[in-house]
Amino acid sequence: MSLISSISRPGPSTSLSRLLKPQFSLESRRYAAGEAGPVGKAGYLQKLGSAQKSKMRKKLPMYKALPASQLDRPILVSNKPQFDPPVFTPAAIKAATAVGQPFVINPKDNDPMKCFGIPRKLWLEFKLLSRPYTVVREVTKDIIQLLEDAKQSSSANTRVVFTGRPGCGKSFLLLQAVESCAQQNWVVIYIPRAVDLVNSTTSYAYDIRTQTYLQPWYSFQTIQRMLTVNKEAFTKIKLVEDLVLEKSVLAKGTTLDQVIEAALAERGVSVAQAPVYLEAVMKALEAQTQYPVILAIDDMQTLYGKTAYRDPHFQAIHSYHLSLPRMLMEFASGKRSFQKGAVLGAISASQTTHPIPLELRDALDLHNENYRIASPYEKRDKVLVEYAKGLKNMAVPEKLTLAEAIGVFEIWKEQQVFGREKFFYDEAFMGKYTESGGNARDFVWKGLLATLDT
Amino acid sequence: MVHILGINLPNGALVRLALTNIYGVGHHTARRLCARLQVHDQCKVSDLSPFQITSLASFLSSPATAPPLPRFPLAKPDYVPPPPSVSAKSLIDAFMEHRKTKALKNPDPLKNLKIESELRREIRENIAHQRMIGSYVGRRHAMHLPVRGQNTQSNAKTAKKLNRLGRY
Repeated sequence: MSLISSISRPGPSTSLSRLLKPQFSLESRRYAAGEAGPVGKAGYLQKLGSAQKSKMRKKLPMYKALPASQLDRPILVSNKPQFDPPVFTPAAIKAATAVGQPFVINPKDNDPMKCFGIPRKLWLEFKLLSRPYTVVREVTKDIIQLLEDAKQSSSANTRVVFTGRPGCGKSFLLLQAVESCAQQNWVVIYIPRAVDLVNSTTSYAYDIRTQTYLQPWYSFQTIQRMLTVNKEAFTKIKLVEDLVLEKSVLAKGTTLDQVIEAALAERGVSVAQAPVYLEAVMKALEAQTQYPVILAIDDMQTLYGKTAYRDPHFQAIHSYHLSLPRMLMEFASGKRSFQKGAVLGAISASQTTHPIPLELRDALDLHNENYRIASPYEKRDKVLVEYAKGLKNMAVPEKLTLAEAIGVFEIWKEQQVFGREKFFYDEAFMGKYTESGGNARDFVWKGLLATLDT
Repeated sequence: MVHILGINLPNGALVRLALTNIYGVGHHTARRLCARLQVHDQCKVSDLSPFQITSLASFLSSPATAPPLPRFPLAKPDYVPPPPSVSAKSLIDAFMEHRKTKALKNPDPLKNLKIESELRREIRENIAHQRMIGSYVGRRHAMHLPVRGQNTQSNAKTAKKLNRLGRY
């Protein structure tokens, strides 16, 4: 049986929680005025006390994979040598033999992957793989070179968005770029799921000063994560002006780590003022020239589309009237820029509720057979057109080359996800590579993980 | 557990779903109420601030007499916020002054919201009115039979159970 078969079928928690859904609340609402009850006797759930009912309502915990140390049964012990690819470092990936080579990312405690998180699909893949393995591609080397060139120039000159077919490797490429920058002491700001900024999952409140809707909780999380990842750099970067808060003032010249630690110390009060802290931190990062800054945004198209937020009159709030998407779009459009650094974005096809908006398609010139035909008479939002100006399209190759596909194959083979003694690995590889047409996600999920042996 | 107008909202529930426990508030009205209070979709009842709870309770106690909602200005792309030396209070006062000069359009639909005892009274009065004028609808309510032309040869169990003049 495959390692992922337990994940592919629905877990018991789903079916059980549906079965245990209590009926009593419906009855009590109907007969709230004290009218005669239903014909017949009260059922089992109606007779239960409230404590028991709330116990039954509790869901079962999520089933997690056992840690490797607990896998001590003889059947699970493998005699094969452990897969030990080289560690993903900027120096290692620059080598000529790096293309097609699998690497492993060893995230430290302050790694952007651990602190900012990663997109859902990557999270699931790394969960199955047990360690974050990644393959270096030709396009990875191109991006690394682009970032080398961007190190000394303004971020307004390097505003790139990765586009391409679903599953061609945009999010992976963005993660590789972020990891590479983090290891080269860049200041890293990584937004792995920009959809969370616009889908009404975090608090929002109107602010008359900025005339936008602030997002206090997400801003607080962002400054907390930025401090953890960029601690060393923040001890040297200072505020460019006084930070005026409700009950205190942080003077110009205070280092950013002291600013954010002051916010974290008084969490109860600071969450509401977190957007003010974030704005001050971003201004300081804009002004400084010591460290190049990378602003990486996955699910970038969600920033340019409709949001799920509503104003008190129940009118939809545009993304450019929300503080965080507005700030990210200002950097993406070049209205604001870092002295040194780059803005990288990646379109996501996984967000089916957030298709790529027309304004972004126009800016990136995505009018080809892969997208729906857009009439020139369809309305474009002028503000969004302004915020999408100057973005450069970097098309990620649709197909993995043979060498790259071999690297991916090797990772999953060494995880013993498929295959057995005397298995025809060459035939399996060529078959699945051809079936998927070289598409990375299809090669793994519909190819390697969907064999009869998996 | 948060109590609003005597109705208990469970702590772990989403606010926009917990509000439907109020008689007269369905999913659409609950969403409108959440928008009015700037409560996001995934907010749980335990995450509500005391200010939000009190403003919700005060609004629901009499929606018709609630103060009109202001339409706050929204920033254009080139908007530069005023410096911190200008206090938020002065900005709000300036906005309120400006607002007085503008005529109000698009009245708030939540103003006509009726919940709990008021809504029950309205339904009771409607049924009583139908009976008073001697209409078919009134007679059917009095006879505990379906009102809207449903079959009575079979089914009609719900009508026989619930339809009455003193309903609600």
